[in-house]
Amino acid sequence: MERIYEIQMGIEELARRALETGTVGGVAALLEVPETNKIAFTLVRAPEDVKGLAPFSPWMLENAARSISQMTREAAFTQPVAVILRPCELRALRELVKLKQVNMTNLILISFDCPGVFPIGSRLNGNGDLPAAYEKAVLEGTNCPGIRQVCSACEEFVPRGADMVISLVGRSPTDTLRAAFPTEAGQKFAEALGLLAEGREVEAGEERDRLAGIRADEHNALSARIQGSLKDLDGLVSVFDRCISCHACRYVCPVCYCKDCFFESPAFSYYPHSLHKRLEQSAAGLRLPLDRLLFHLGRLTHMGASCVACGMCEDVCVAGIPVSQIFKTVGGDIQQMFDYLPGGSPDDPLPLLTYREDELKEMED
Amino acid sequence: MKEESKEFTPNILYALCSWCGSGGSETAGAMKLHYPENVKPVRFYCTGGIDPVYIFRALLEGADGVVVSGCHPGDCHFDTGNYRARRRIAAVKTILNTLGLDGDRVWLRWVGHGEGKRFVDTASEFDEHIQEKGPSPLKGIRGV
Repeated sequence: MERIYEIQMGIEELARRALETGTVGGVAALLEVPETNKIAFTLVRAPEDVKGLAPFSPWMLENAARSISQMTREAAFTQPVAVILRPCELRALRELVKLKQVNMTNLILISFDCPGVFPIGSRLNGNGDLPAAYEKAVLEGTNCPGIRQVCSACEEFVPRGADMVISLVGRSPTDTLRAAFPTEAGQKFAEALGLLAEGREVEAGEERDRLAGIRADEHNALSARIQGSLKDLDGLVSVFDRCISCHACRYVCPVCYCKDCFFESPAFSYYPHSLHKRLEQSAAGLRLPLDRLLFHLGRLTHMGASCVACGMCEDVCVAGIPVSQIFKTVGGDIQQMFDYLPGGSPDDPLPLLTYREDELKEMED
Repeated sequence: MKEESKEFTPNILYALCSWCGSGGSETAGAMKLHYPENVKPVRFYCTGGIDPVYIFRALLEGADGVVVSGCHPGDCHFDTGNYRARRRIAAVKTILNTLGLDGDRVWLRWVGHGEGKRFVDTASEFDEHIQEKGPSPLKGIRGV
């Protein structure tokens, strides 16, 4: 069991001290931007700028793994940078490392057990105040009503492989931090800041386990619900017929990194004369835009094995398709078949880039 | 039952790799073996190069079933393409099954260069298999 320390400071103070002592050259995390009443993932360099640091905010405007990818893809950070990520962002980050889109050198990974986030719209249209119900749910270790469906069914809410793991569930936002430092880099980070000497070892609360139980039940319910709604062809068609082919889901997806997406390319588009011919043959005509179901099925095969179910795709879907719930359900089955947890271990290769000679005999006919 | 199912002629795509799968069909030709005419062979460079999207497109645009044949394990012209194909086909079947679309409309069976009979048998067997299943429900929804 990992050792959890009570640290006599909040997250802002921790970031300030890390910057002041020169332990890190930067801190990347969600930051409140008071002028516009927004939050944004921000790389902070100066100790005085840590004011408004809000990594535990119940909103997630992007999967921050994308931002880290943008900052490190071609060149690693030259000095240590602490990044504060949600567990799903951390897992997406690790998938992107495997896809050669992130350089982990000099990154200190800080994460926390995540109570879930609300859909983006509630932040963009709201005042940004932390809902009291959310605070209460975090304290008790329950699901707050109104969080993303995939969040309420997320069983991977405790980060794996982070250098510093902050215990959030069971705590109040005004409480001082409780954290574990499971890795060597984490231990060094804690020592450099003097956290272990000042800190007091504490017992893990039971709230995390309570939430894990609730999440497991929710996960089963979600899978059953989604499979039920898609089960017959009518269900599948009625769900995906809403798609307007904007492909926003793939733009915000942290794992869909291809600059030239297969589905934006002409690889699968027909020449007009082929469509004209088809119109002559078909009394039903052609429903436009074309290839909506194909896009989703294809995307499932391309990234389903790596889907971390962060929920960004569903949040941006203007057509109201439960994209992330579908991808969590179908992707989950693919991952289970390959015995793969996306972003779980850096040593597990991507399922579609590896094979074993003595496997999947049952898939041969 | 048999009389009834005969009225339905499935539209079947047979994806073959350039080396063993196509080789099998050539051997079948040399041996003057026959396979059902509604089975349409398509040549791919390697089964490992078959993007699952091609299979979905076929199913969405009128195919009642897709069968894939390539070199036996250990015999791949590119050493590992067939192992990779097996993983992709497994993903396709899983997706189809989870969505309630019947992953059994996609088959994977290894056919060696010299196995002309196995090629013909596979084509016939899959044809019967799909005849029993009936028309694919997916092909009615072209355009979605």
